[in-house]
Amino acid sequence: MQSGTYRIGRFAALLAILLLITGSVFSVHAQGGTLRIGAVAPTVLDPALGSNDPEILFNRSIYDYLVEVLPDRSIAPNLAKSWTISEDGLTYTFTLEDGVKFHDGSDFSSADVVYTFNRLVTIESPAVNLLGEFAVSAPDAATVVFTLTSPNADFLYGVANQLALIVKDGAETPNELASGDNPYANFNGTGPFTLTEYKEGESATLTKNATYWKEGQPLLDTIQFQFINDPVTQVNALKSGEVDFIFKISPDQVSGLETESGISLIQTTTNQHPVIRLRTDQGPGTDVKVRQAFKYATDRAELNDLVLEGRGTIGNNDPIGPGYATFFDADIQVQEYDPEKAKALLAEAGYPDGLNITLQTINVLGYDTLATVLQQQWALAGINAEIQVNEEGFYYDDSNPDNWLKADLGITGWGDRPIPQGYLAEAYTTEGIYNETHWSDPALDELIQQASITADPAARAAIYNQISEIFNESGPIIIPWFAPIFSATRENVSGLTVAPFPGLTDLRGVSVS
Amino acid sequence: MTSITSENAVQSPSRIKRLTAPVWNVFKQLASRPLSLVGMVVVALFILMAIFGPIVAPYKFDALIKGAARQAPSAEFFFGTDKLGRDVYSRVLWGAREVIVIPGVATTIAVTIGAIIGMGTAYFGGWIDEIVSRLLDSLLAIPALLLALVMLGVIGPSPIGIVIVIVLLYVPIVARVIRSATLNVRSSGFIEAARLRGEANWYILFREILPSVLPALTVEAALRFSYAIFLTASLGFLGLGVQPPSPDWGRMVNEARESYDRTPWALWFPAGAIAVLVIGVNLLADGLRRVFRYEGV
Repeated sequence: MQSGTYRIGRFAALLAILLLITGSVFSVHAQGGTLRIGAVAPTVLDPALGSNDPEILFNRSIYDYLVEVLPDRSIAPNLAKSWTISEDGLTYTFTLEDGVKFHDGSDFSSADVVYTFNRLVTIESPAVNLLGEFAVSAPDAATVVFTLTSPNADFLYGVANQLALIVKDGAETPNELASGDNPYANFNGTGPFTLTEYKEGESATLTKNATYWKEGQPLLDTIQFQFINDPVTQVNALKSGEVDFIFKISPDQVSGLETESGISLIQTTTNQHPVIRLRTDQGPGTDVKVRQAFKYATDRAELNDLVLEGRGTIGNNDPIGPGYATFFDADIQVQEYDPEKAKALLAEAGYPDGLNITLQTINVLGYDTLATVLQQQWALAGINAEIQVNEEGFYYDDSNPDNWLKADLGITGWGDRPIPQGYLAEAYTTEGIYNETHWSDPALDELIQQASITADPAARAAIYNQISEIFNESGPIIIPWFAPIFSATRENVSGLTVAPFPGLTDLRGVSVS
Repeated sequence: MTSITSENAVQSPSRIKRLTAPVWNVFKQLASRPLSLVGMVVVALFILMAIFGPIVAPYKFDALIKGAARQAPSAEFFFGTDKLGRDVYSRVLWGAREVIVIPGVATTIAVTIGAIIGMGTAYFGGWIDEIVSRLLDSLLAIPALLLALVMLGVIGPSPIGIVIVIVLLYVPIVARVIRSATLNVRSSGFIEAARLRGEANWYILFREILPSVLPALTVEAALRFSYAIFLTASLGFLGLGVQPPSPDWGRMVNEARESYDRTPWALWFPAGAIAVLVIGVNLLADGLRRVFRYEGV
């Protein structure tokens, strides 16, 4: 009896082990599949220039970064397996992975890296902002050396910039559709997927790169982009099972998805925010009192409640938000709401009977709703804003005379940056390429410059506090909230972590069963 | 029943004065057909709404009622409130103006210009007719919504922009219809008689031809009006019409679309209002067509 039970027990144990083994084998086999992504159609395909989330997500699946930013904002090796920084902080030496090949079969080497970074400078890619001035050279095929003109504590974030994707040496027209046998010859990266079909404005199919350098990756066989520009249609496509993954879901649609079965809603804390900004060099915003009046006239708590249903974190007057644990000062006093004070300030500024102005905004992310509520709030302070809602692409288009860089008063959407320096250098320095407010404050420029060479987080946080002060006193921007980003997948998708900048989401470890 | 048509058949000169009497006749005939009566009543109600809506509405169209977002229809808010706490009933009432005035103005201009071009080309004929007709034909070849999108993209979304677009779209259509109607009467005896009397061209056009083509013109105007309402609402829906916080029904439908699962009433009522109005105008147009025994061109 006893020995019999023992035998049965042993047999059961054996069976269990066998099941475990076969089970794991099966689960390995189950990896792969096709991920169908519903996203807005890309318009700029050049990996050094395309800037919105779908464009970056598309490009980063075809190309690789030298080093990359993880969703937790740390820097990780990628095509560069390691790096060293000299004592003076002026020389960065990267050692590259071996055996990496481009999709056309050619070898990846240091020359490609040198070419890529020089190209970023030549074509004036926004990526150069965080890189500062540098020279890049290749002492041998597996080594790349960057020499900086001045110290830059954020240099690695510059190298990991979303647009710094490594292209083939000499590639003059990356991602341009070619005529002839292989229309996709210019989509030549080292990345985990190769482009096999592209239908403009309709869809794109990416197929697994079987010889990808990273062992065991990617898991997916195919990625299919379905280009859907309408946010409601995107959500419907997810619900009906036409796509498996959508990101940047508009605030109105979130609660409807919470209860939907078969769908997982993903919330990502980010520093994404709308910037309500005045121009400082023309229009009423030239007067600091007017800027103050707008700040006092804006009830941020109500905006967050009505537009985001309270899901955001209330913002202040500078772009350093809760996404940056090290730098965000949660104790800082949030700008008070006082329409009477706003009225008084406007009167002092020479607008005793109120102020008439046009508010430019875009038709996504709930910003048209934001404008509608702002208009009502501002009316109480004597600011009569007329709303002009623009198609997103049109508002950011250079040919539009009232575009985001030109309008007197507008709302701009700012996506997540891995470090606050990204916003400050791009938009709030005199020379910043996206200086939409045309703000020029020498003291601020100096502080931003100082922050860029301060590697110690505590010291940098102190500088950022001073910067926040300047924004509070004379800054031309209002930040109603920092928004979480909502994405959703169907339940059969696993291994997906949405990055704070959704376009940077890494799809290599994703599988669909 | 046949007073209008018999007048048309007789077509004696100087009929302008005698045309006012048949207006009452037309009303009576419309009222005798149940569907036409419904159309007439609906259109009348909406016109009343456009005139008195803002006075009757409990709230202003852009007022955010504190703490009243997403309320279902109730005795307090007949049509419920939208996601921002605006009273949908008040917005629908205010919106009648936007939805009736813009298409109304646009249709009036389009029908006036179209009628003048149509009568002129048919009456004078010759190379002017050829050139103008081919020009209008080429305009007709462009799909309506596409032309509207391109034009509003260029001149920017505004009520005047919409009026211009509708006028451009409908002038060729009206002109073609009126041109055919005019060709039918051009060689009639009374026109010849007027010519032989030595009447001026403008006199013949407006005192002789216009009364004869008036039935066609009326039906055409009613039809154009219903299409114009639809087009305006479509443009509002696409965000190319009037700007927020306007209570344009098309825009309201668009704004309510994203939160449909929680505030469906914010979509039902403006959408329903558009549907009822368009059906009403169409029933009326259909009734007019029957009264005038006008078969269209």
